[in-house]
Amino acid sequence: MTAIRLPAETKFADELAALGRTDDGSRPPGWALSPKAVATYILGASKPVDGVEITPKFIGDKALVEVAIATLVSDRALMLVGEPGTAKSWLSEHLCAAISGDSGLVVQGTAGTSEDHIKYSWNYALLLAEGPSDKALVPSPIFRAMEQGKFARFEEITRTPAEIQDALISILSEKQVAVPELGRIVSAARGFNLIATANTRDRGVNEMSAALKRRFNFVTIPVVSKLEQEIAIVTKREAELRADYQVEPTPPEELVTLLVTMFQELRAGVTKDRKTKVNPPSSVMSTAEAISVLFNSAILAQHFGSGQVGPKELARSLVGAVAKENADDLKSLREYCETVAKGRDGLWKSFHAEARRALRT
Amino acid sequence: MGSSGLSRVHVFGVRHHSPRSTAMLGALLERVRPQVVLVEGPLDAGPLIDVVVDAKTEPPIAILGYATEGEPRSALWPFAAYSPEYRALRWAAEHGAQARFIDVPVGVSLARDAIEEHGPDEAREDDEPGAEADAPRALDHDPHQRAAEARGLRSFEELWEACFEAPNYTPEQFREAMLAHAALTREAHPVPWHQARDVFMAARIEDVIAEGVEPERIVAVVGAAHAVAFVTGDLDPARLALLPEPRPSAVTVIPFSYPRLAAQLGYGAGNRAPQYYQLAHEAGCDFRHATLRALLGFGDELRSRGFAASMADTIEAYRLACALAELRDKAHPGLDELREACIATMCRGDAQPVDAFLWKGVLGHRVGKVAERIGKNSLQEEFWREVNARDLPREDQATEIALQLREPVAIQTSVFLHRLRVAGVPYATFQGSYSSSAMRTRGNQDASEAGDLSALQRMREAWEAQWTPSTDVALVERIALGNTLEQITSHVLGERLGAASSTGEAASVLMEAVVTDCSRPAADAMRACDQLAATDDDLPSLARACQALAGLVTYGSSRSASPDRSSEATLRALCTKTFDRAVLRVRPACLGDEDAVAQVPLALQTLHEVALAPQAFVDREAWLRAARELVEDYAIHPSTAGVATALLYLARVIEEDEVATFVSQRLSDTLHPLAGAAYLEGFLRVNSTVLVRNRSVVETLDAFVSAVEADAFRNILPLLRRSFGSLGSTERRYFLENLIHARNLGDQARAAAVVITTQDEATLAEIGEDLDDALGDLDDLL
Repeated sequence: MTAIRLPAETKFADELAALGRTDDGSRPPGWALSPKAVATYILGASKPVDGVEITPKFIGDKALVEVAIATLVSDRALMLVGEPGTAKSWLSEHLCAAISGDSGLVVQGTAGTSEDHIKYSWNYALLLAEGPSDKALVPSPIFRAMEQGKFARFEEITRTPAEIQDALISILSEKQVAVPELGRIVSAARGFNLIATANTRDRGVNEMSAALKRRFNFVTIPVVSKLEQEIAIVTKREAELRADYQVEPTPPEELVTLLVTMFQELRAGVTKDRKTKVNPPSSVMSTAEAISVLFNSAILAQHFGSGQVGPKELARSLVGAVAKENADDLKSLREYCETVAKGRDGLWKSFHAEARRALRT
Repeated sequence: MGSSGLSRVHVFGVRHHSPRSTAMLGALLERVRPQVVLVEGPLDAGPLIDVVVDAKTEPPIAILGYATEGEPRSALWPFAAYSPEYRALRWAAEHGAQARFIDVPVGVSLARDAIEEHGPDEAREDDEPGAEADAPRALDHDPHQRAAEARGLRSFEELWEACFEAPNYTPEQFREAMLAHAALTREAHPVPWHQARDVFMAARIEDVIAEGVEPERIVAVVGAAHAVAFVTGDLDPARLALLPEPRPSAVTVIPFSYPRLAAQLGYGAGNRAPQYYQLAHEAGCDFRHATLRALLGFGDELRSRGFAASMADTIEAYRLACALAELRDKAHPGLDELREACIATMCRGDAQPVDAFLWKGVLGHRVGKVAERIGKNSLQEEFWREVNARDLPREDQATEIALQLREPVAIQTSVFLHRLRVAGVPYATFQGSYSSSAMRTRGNQDASEAGDLSALQRMREAWEAQWTPSTDVALVERIALGNTLEQITSHVLGERLGAASSTGEAASVLMEAVVTDCSRPAADAMRACDQLAATDDDLPSLARACQALAGLVTYGSSRSASPDRSSEATLRALCTKTFDRAVLRVRPACLGDEDAVAQVPLALQTLHEVALAPQAFVDREAWLRAARELVEDYAIHPSTAGVATALLYLARVIEEDEVATFVSQRLSDTLHPLAGAAYLEGFLRVNSTVLVRNRSVVETLDAFVSAVEADAFRNILPLLRRSFGSLGSTERRYFLENLIHARNLGDQARAAAVVITTQDEATLAEIGEDLDDALGDLDDLL
């Protein structure tokens, strides 16, 4: 049986191994690689390391990644904040994979997250039969990370109620969890730390307490605003997805440029030449969304089309992606097509025609 | 003249405003103990060295060279406490060594600036190793940017800091590193001007050797690129021919400020954050210590603004900055690490507080001092005397000033500030006048309004003053135009008067002259008004002039340059004459299409005000006759006729019942509704409250609008919208009230009455506020 999606440490095992072999920097206790090698793993290397090409995992401001890694060297936890779809979780997964060799110790924050998910819970059958014992204790991912001296991840922390979030305070400041039922305290092994992510659109839903905030260093991941940079990200990630899912048709470069240009213009509310105002839709026009639209177009082309990804597939995928939250968003997309896309040459011409057709229905 | 002597001289290449260069130079000087110290600075500024090193002089300061004749122009050579040049001069003074400047004289730099039309600071600043050529930064092949990127850094400034400022060097290592770096730059961007200066400076060094000083006992402190030329012997005497003929010039020393030093980064002065480098300098080039001190400062600032910034955060920020530096292979953290660490920890990922206020902390706001012994020029003397005597702000920070114009001292201050404004000395900006204690007219006041008629009636003025080095620069530059502020203001106004081609322009110069209390241009402007009025055919210009002149006669002014008794008669005569001419021009001005008469309604209103002012002495009847003719004249543009009708109705020259007749006549021409609409626009622009209260007028308007054909209506719609759109809420209410009555909408009227009553209460409340303000004003007056 093959898994749909492999964790980063498995998928990039070659790269991590190569970096490990050549890494002569000093490694903080519990780290699989030195901070510099981690940075190389995340940002990619211009020449192959020990015969293995290191692909960039995060395309963007190098300084951000450096601040994130420098934070993790100490015992401060790291908080990645940003708009949805700015690769926060992606970055956190790769950081964990490179530093601990394990990106799987994850707590997903939701409104239903309880303290059990953060600390530990019990196998109640065993608990009732034998009373509290190590065997009956079900450790949380964070608990296991502490025991093993690894990194834990906490996704979307602000979706969790504030009082539950505060269970992290003692873990982050004292680095230990008390298990009064067993009369012992579990202390974190060296190498333990936590990377949390939070969505700025959720800000104010469950605002973190000041006490918890003080345990974190914050890195804000910006929305990509450079066209070339976002095209590079979309192209690269979409190609990876196609490889994973064995989808054949490759979208032409011009189509990717068109898509990313459109996303950036809709996001900014104004065209690149700053001449035309456009109405930004309420749904998030994130980079992740652009990747998914493009990938979806490729699937459409493979299974329902000619095998060529073109404006038709793009237009059809776009409608589903943009109109997710609000029917008005279709209107802003239609306006965009009529005011901006219509006047442009090349692929835009056929895109305009196709989008018109797709939006009518 | 062999260059063997030159090769034995201790040539020390530096970057300006660089703490590390300064520290290295200090070590070299201590070891060599030279007899003569030569510094890259204008030759003719030599006599100022004593002032620069005076114990009472505190950097930042700048040597200012300025043209003494012709077009004002100047160049600056700034020094911070950590500028190597400053250190060299200080060392010489403290150890009894001779110090000399060896660069081309100021006059030559100014002439070159004039030729190349460059900014005044460029002559010095672009000879940095960091910015050798004029625009290398913009180009893709900028070797500095490339070098930085190759090292994985973002900018040349970051590279410079990481490679030259932060690491510890021995003076020899540093000298070699600087030379190697500068040699690259020099090769990539040879600039003939700098090469010519190389030769000039080398010759000055040779001169010193020729005087019999041992070359080994000379230290020359020059920009690294020049040092390369000396070391490699790339000195072709023919290049001297490139130096232009000097302009007549002089030099002085002025205080400088850190904000200004930071603003010069564009010229490559290599100082992104003067205060941060000051901290590094004070800590003996220990950038860790400087970073910690900057972070502690940030913490204080955040706490004082109510942010939570604990000591633990500061400590973590410091640790993070150091960890970042290590990750980037830097010896010590620098500005970039400082910024990023502060954002991640103390600001919780939000860059906004750093950009909004924290970063100012590392830019600094230090202002230098210059020892009293330096001869200030007469303008600077006057400026500082006035500023001290009147207790005006002397900081490089915007400060508000409020003046009550009944006190003689405040009036003089106002005159002083207005003179600075007119003379073009950047110091204070006019913010507006208080029309009442609660409301200050602000924002819509531009410089041209600062000295117009309203200046005469002003009781209070608000200014915002900020001293910057450019204030002193302007004071020094402007000396070419006169010796006192009054002379310069007069000169500027004289030039403006010379360029004035209409009575209106001359009258506004007159107003400025009165506001700035300059009697000669005031007299000149009056004469000019007189001459121009005779030939001026432009009604708006004439009306403006009338207003200004009448205002002067009526209100006089708190200023002494306003006309005395004897000239008041002249002024009165001039005003009458201008007014008469304006009245004659009324009808011709009203002919023509919409564009041609665009300014006429305002002019008519102005004339009307002048004629009907309580103390008016002009021929009121002539004006009323002229206006009356407009009312019944169908050849002129309808909007002007509308204005005239409304004005006369307000003046009660046209009676209540008469006005409706005139309006209905004008509007009855349904064949040309556009003309009717234009008339309406003119009619309603004058005090519309009174107009819409006249029921018969409203009935006429209603009839006109209802009668217009659908097609024609579309054409006049924009005009109608403009006319009715300008009505305020009170006017609308009256209008509506009358309309309801006119159409006998009894029931609806009762329903509307409720609305109206509620609005009445709001109006009463408004009036109440006005009343409070008025009482407040009264209190102030008493």
